[in-house]
Amino acid sequence: MQEKVEAQNILSMNSVEVLYDNVILAIKGVSVQVPKGEMIALLGSNGAGKSTTLKAISGLLKAERGRISRGEITFQGTDITEAPAQKRVEMGICHVIEGRRVFEHLTPDENLTAAAPRGMSRSTLNAEKDKIYAYFPRLVERKNSQAGYLSGGEQQMLAIGRALVTQPKLLMLDEPSLGLAPFLVEEIFGILQKINKDEGLSVLLVEQNALAALEIVSQGYLIENGRVVMHGTAEALKSNSDIQEFYLGGGETDFHNVKHYSRRKRWLS
Amino acid sequence: MDWVFLSELAINGVLTGLLYSLFAIGLVLIYKASSVPNLAQGGLTMVGAYVVLALARDVGLPLWLAIPLAAVVMFGLGFGIERVALRRLAGRPVVMILMLTLGLDIFLRGTTLAIWGGTSRSMELGVSYDPLFLGDIFISRIHLVGAGVALALFVAFMLFFRTRTGIKLRAIADDYMASWSVGISVERGVGLSWALASVVAVAAGVIWGEIQGVDQALSLLLLKGLTVAVLGGLDSILGAVIAGIILGVVENVGADFLDPLVGGGSRELIVAAVLILTVMIRPHGLFGRHDIERV
Repeated sequence: MQEKVEAQNILSMNSVEVLYDNVILAIKGVSVQVPKGEMIALLGSNGAGKSTTLKAISGLLKAERGRISRGEITFQGTDITEAPAQKRVEMGICHVIEGRRVFEHLTPDENLTAAAPRGMSRSTLNAEKDKIYAYFPRLVERKNSQAGYLSGGEQQMLAIGRALVTQPKLLMLDEPSLGLAPFLVEEIFGILQKINKDEGLSVLLVEQNALAALEIVSQGYLIENGRVVMHGTAEALKSNSDIQEFYLGGGETDFHNVKHYSRRKRWLS
Repeated sequence: MDWVFLSELAINGVLTGLLYSLFAIGLVLIYKASSVPNLAQGGLTMVGAYVVLALARDVGLPLWLAIPLAAVVMFGLGFGIERVALRRLAGRPVVMILMLTLGLDIFLRGTTLAIWGGTSRSMELGVSYDPLFLGDIFISRIHLVGAGVALALFVAFMLFFRTRTGIKLRAIADDYMASWSVGISVERGVGLSWALASVVAVAAGVIWGEIQGVDQALSLLLLKGLTVAVLGGLDSILGAVIAGIILGVVENVGADFLDPLVGGGSRELIVAAVLILTVMIRPHGLFGRHDIERV
């Protein structure tokens, strides 16, 4: 029974604890499962530990002097808790980091080239690029201008496209909607959904914009203060009264904020 | 005004300038991948020259073999420096890495002094010392050879930065974190840039060693090379070539006017003035990349 569950999950993260600088406990025993081919959201407010969770999975923690002090992460049944970031990308985990972070002084086309795995043939790379340009037609006309001058939406598309060049099996996105107009968020999320459907790509999405995220994912985890405090299907989360109040913006008056605070605190303990 | 003399000063200024560029290309290579001005490039250049001499004189190889072999040795040294020293500093403030390169320069100078002593040795490339005549203008042959090497390296690196590996190096220079996120080996990239810069150091060491002899003074090329690199924009190879030419001409012609007035030594003043004015007026240099700010 246990093995069957493992086989269905492309990623399994069990009670992972992350320390920064050996002292700061950033996440305190987070368990997250990503079933193969599904889209999963990590929701929560600023500083809840969502980004740290993604970095623990992609191995980018090390660049910020963080480390996993407890728990384990398995990807397709292989323990990757200690694997270097580069190895994880080779295995098929790609992390689109927060804030777009395209290579500003390169052209979009060069941005895609830069992400090509070692040993990828020129023809494979060109085929990958064509596929990415087909998903993001906006990038085609800008492909030879400087990436730093692209609009925010185009940069986010390029960042996702750049990740796709690595041929991931699990794509992780950190706040792709940040600072983008609602119609762009809708466009990008639509494309993500299409890629997920067309290629069976598993997606782990970190979002503060819970409303938009819950429209496209099948399940969501709510993280508060370094812990998972709620987990359920998108429908269940959408209809949960706490989620509605705190994350989907039910129309509350100021008077209720006092109450919010005490209810929030109960989650933390 | 003596136009022949002035054009001789200018032409030799261009050639000398290209020799500065030859040195500065090494600085630019490292800056492009790690955004750190490598203060050890002078030391590396000197070590490059000494390694060539060691292979040619002490081992007895012919120069045509000793030079490429030295390039291979220095390529390995460049990678080694990244592996042993720089890797630990990845992600630390740039000023720490800057201090590390300064320490490395002192270390290289001390090591060469201990092994080969302080007396100047000659390179003896076999390039004739008879000047070339272009009409009435004297041109030094070794300067001409060196300028040719500088231009050849310039072309080679311009092409290199369009290859996939070259693009990855430029990506690393742009954003370490984003590079890691897509599986680019930042460590290997930085190591490669140091290795290539060390090969450039061999070329600069051989040419400059031929001109001024191989001794500790070779490491002082850093000051002029840094001035050229800063004027050119630190991360632009084209900038390094053009800035080298500019500095060479300004220095050569300027010194001819100023030396009688101040009684000699004005070359250093001109170099210092160029460095200071560049940083004050145009900190990104002539061709340096700006940090992009979208409005």
